[in-house]
Amino acid sequence: MIRARGDMPRSRAMAGAVTLAVRLPRLSREGAQAVGGALAALVLWELAARGLAGSYLLAGPVDVARYLQANSGLMGRALAITLENAALGFVAGNLAAVALALVVVLIPRSQPVVAGFALVVFCLPLVATGPILRVLYGPGPGPQITLAALAVYYTTFIPLMVGLRAAPASWFDLMRVYGRGAWTAFVQVRVMAALPYLLAGLQIAAPAAFLGAMVGEFTGAERGMGVLALRAMRGLDVEATWALATVAAVVAMLAYGALGWVARALAPARPEVLLAPPPATALSGRAGRALRGAGVAALTLVLMLALWWGVMEAFGLSRFFAKRPDDLWAFLVSAPTAAENRAILWEASAQTLTYVLPGYLAGLGLGAVLAMVLVLAPGLAGAVLPVAVALRSVPIVTTAPLIVLALGRGAAGTITIVAVMIFFPALVACLQGLRQAPGQVLDVMATYGAGRLTRLIHARLPAMLPAFFAAARMSVPAAVLAVTVAEWLATGTGLGNLMALTASTSNYNLLWSAVVLVALGSAAGYALVGAVERRVLARVAPEQLR
Amino acid sequence: MADQRAGRGPAITCAALAKTFGTGPAAVEAVAPLDLTFAAGELTALVGPSGCGKSTVLRMVAGLEAPSAGTVTLDGAAPADLQGEGALAMAFQDASLLPWRSVRGNVALALKLARKPVDLAAVDAMIARVGLAGFENARPAELSGGMRQRAAIARCLVTQPRVLLLDEPFGAVDELTRARLNTDLPALWQAQGTTALLVTHSVREAVALADRVVVFSSRPAQVVADLRVPDLLALDSAEGRTLMAEVTAALSQGWADDPGSGRHAAQ
Ligand SMILES: Nc1ncnc2c1ncn2[C@@H]1O[C@H](COP(=O)(O)OP(=O)(O)OP(=O)(O)O)[C@@H](O)[C@H]1O
Ligand SMILES: [Mg+2]
Repeated sequence: MIRARGDMPRSRAMAGAVTLAVRLPRLSREGAQAVGGALAALVLWELAARGLAGSYLLAGPVDVARYLQANSGLMGRALAITLENAALGFVAGNLAAVALALVVVLIPRSQPVVAGFALVVFCLPLVATGPILRVLYGPGPGPQITLAALAVYYTTFIPLMVGLRAAPASWFDLMRVYGRGAWTAFVQVRVMAALPYLLAGLQIAAPAAFLGAMVGEFTGAERGMGVLALRAMRGLDVEATWALATVAAVVAMLAYGALGWVARALAPARPEVLLAPPPATALSGRAGRALRGAGVAALTLVLMLALWWGVMEAFGLSRFFAKRPDDLWAFLVSAPTAAENRAILWEASAQTLTYVLPGYLAGLGLGAVLAMVLVLAPGLAGAVLPVAVALRSVPIVTTAPLIVLALGRGAAGTITIVAVMIFFPALVACLQGLRQAPGQVLDVMATYGAGRLTRLIHARLPAMLPAFFAAARMSVPAAVLAVTVAEWLATGTGLGNLMALTASTSNYNLLWSAVVLVALGSAAGYALVGAVERRVLARVAPEQLR
Repeated sequence: MADQRAGRGPAITCAALAKTFGTGPAAVEAVAPLDLTFAAGELTALVGPSGCGKSTVLRMVAGLEAPSAGTVTLDGAAPADLQGEGALAMAFQDASLLPWRSVRGNVALALKLARKPVDLAAVDAMIARVGLAGFENARPAELSGGMRQRAAIARCLVTQPRVLLLDEPFGAVDELTRARLNTDLPALWQAQGTTALLVTHSVREAVALADRVVVFSSRPAQVVADLRVPDLLALDSAEGRTLMAEVTAALSQGWADDPGSGRHAAQ
């Protein structure tokens, strides 16, 4: 205890002592749990590596450190290149996101079409757009930067769009009472209200940009982390694979953490639900809504086809590799071999579905279940959560080579990659949702002596659902990305493999067809989850649907 | 006193003013056709059961809600004209402070929005006037509910509006502070001859502050009583108590009109 001396400004000294006394133990306790969790993970990793020594699966932290030390020059150069590409893509993608969000807010009617367009482009399989961009751009970092931008813009666009509209109506009334119009409201209210949402989006975008750049490097770059990772995996170089995955993971965590720090410094209030449910259409009645939805989808499709065709024509790209919509129409519908072509696509799609569905459901389900377990055992959560938050920021695909090493090139490995890719975001989202149950509701239940399980079921689960569905929706494109990368790296089946194969054999008709199929398929999956979400939320949490 | 008040504020005329939200079977008639005139420079208190349409009337006068029928005119002008002059101010039921601005920033913003010179000394003086001296740099999240409402009042008054619309401005302020504000603040707008409408649930406050008390029935709002408050009325005088009893009686009559809420009146 500090005793106040006679000549000191007493109240200040006392206050200081009190805050110190109160804060230090709490901070150190949380910190200790986090450090404990991280240490436990490291020790488990090392033990597993020792246990599996000689099986060429796992390199422990000690081996990884040794490898990094021995190859620091090579790794440093590769990392610098990938970081540069990721940073450029990060900037470009987020600028695009801001532009799209502004269009939607300034012209509200454009929202369904712009959002639909943005979703389909986000669903383009990076595995295939990589090679196509490689042909379009020629050598150089263009494809990596573009892929990094494609990987980030959607996760910034959606929260930003929500944030720009998140302000309560009375803030706008305030502007109107003084006779001010939309512009003042935009500057004084919307921009400021959207800032925390933008920052939250940027935080998710930082690791995603690194992922995009690395996948871009998988597809035929000369230098960078992705090139090294591919080489190490093909050469069954266990230590290099683990070292690269570790570096990628650490970079992603650092980028995530750094942006989180910036966000907390700039805008202390974090948005509650980051990815709001898809907006309801204005028309009432089921038939009206379905009609309107179909109209919007058709309009989006027509605009996309026009844009696709227009860009190809404007840049005068050769029809040999830059296919137009009518080429695909011929390939899939009107050509004599169309039926065969379609059969190839269907077969690959069926294979992909058998991997992606179980992986998606398993990742999502395990994430939700573990989140509930952690709520029932809060002591455990303190140790697990920091590790989970850290791992969520890791673009799992960059560690796909590891899982291939560990589980082989069969279905198990691919399904695991999909599940792991989805598991951590789902776990963290569900935990955040579970913790969002209003304190008052929990207090009321406590006064009735309700146990933890009762509180979980009646207060926390309804609060978790919106976060769960937000994760479920965003997981659809993520699962498709994971499965296509895994198929391409590992199994040699499915759409991912088909795209890689056709890219290397210059069968551009089939490649473009697969790209369109995957993009439309995952956009449809996203829309399907959104529809289920609206149904369920309308029953259990109608206040979430404004 | 009456001479002093004459001048700046306009008379507010509601002619067959009505508002219905929604259409078809889901339509909610919030305000039934209403004919009311609020004299220039007067403070009128509007009381009535919760959900009866008081806020809706205020919002139509502020030009925030378009009437379904009828008109609001302020000395012949439309609400939008006064908005453009920065001559209107409204305190919302939830204080509606911008969370990223300090108290000073929120109050100063009103001057900026009303296109008036931003005089920080005047801003701080107004903040002190509502009893928030020392909290100029505090964010709204660091204030209590009542403190936020006082900051919102300061934001309303700093622009010296000609029309002041207060929607339950003291709802979360404690009894004592409220009494102090009630004696201190009215001088601010009375001196300027502001025409003011005050929505409140406190009969005492209505009678203490207002020149006139209008009592609404349950939704849709209709006038059940329209009472003058004599100048310099003491609340604890016999006359003051009679007036408060009259307002209370009119309120319960308004309740009883509504079959759904008759139970409350009986209690
Ligand atoms: N934007 C709106 N859309 C639909 N109905 C509305 C809207 N605003 C108000 N109402 C309805 O109009 C009626 C009157 O609402 P109003 O807010 O004017 O009541 P009030 O008298 O201010 O109540 P309170 O004292 O509780 O604030 C209510 O039944 C309310 O449900
Ligand atoms: Mg109201």
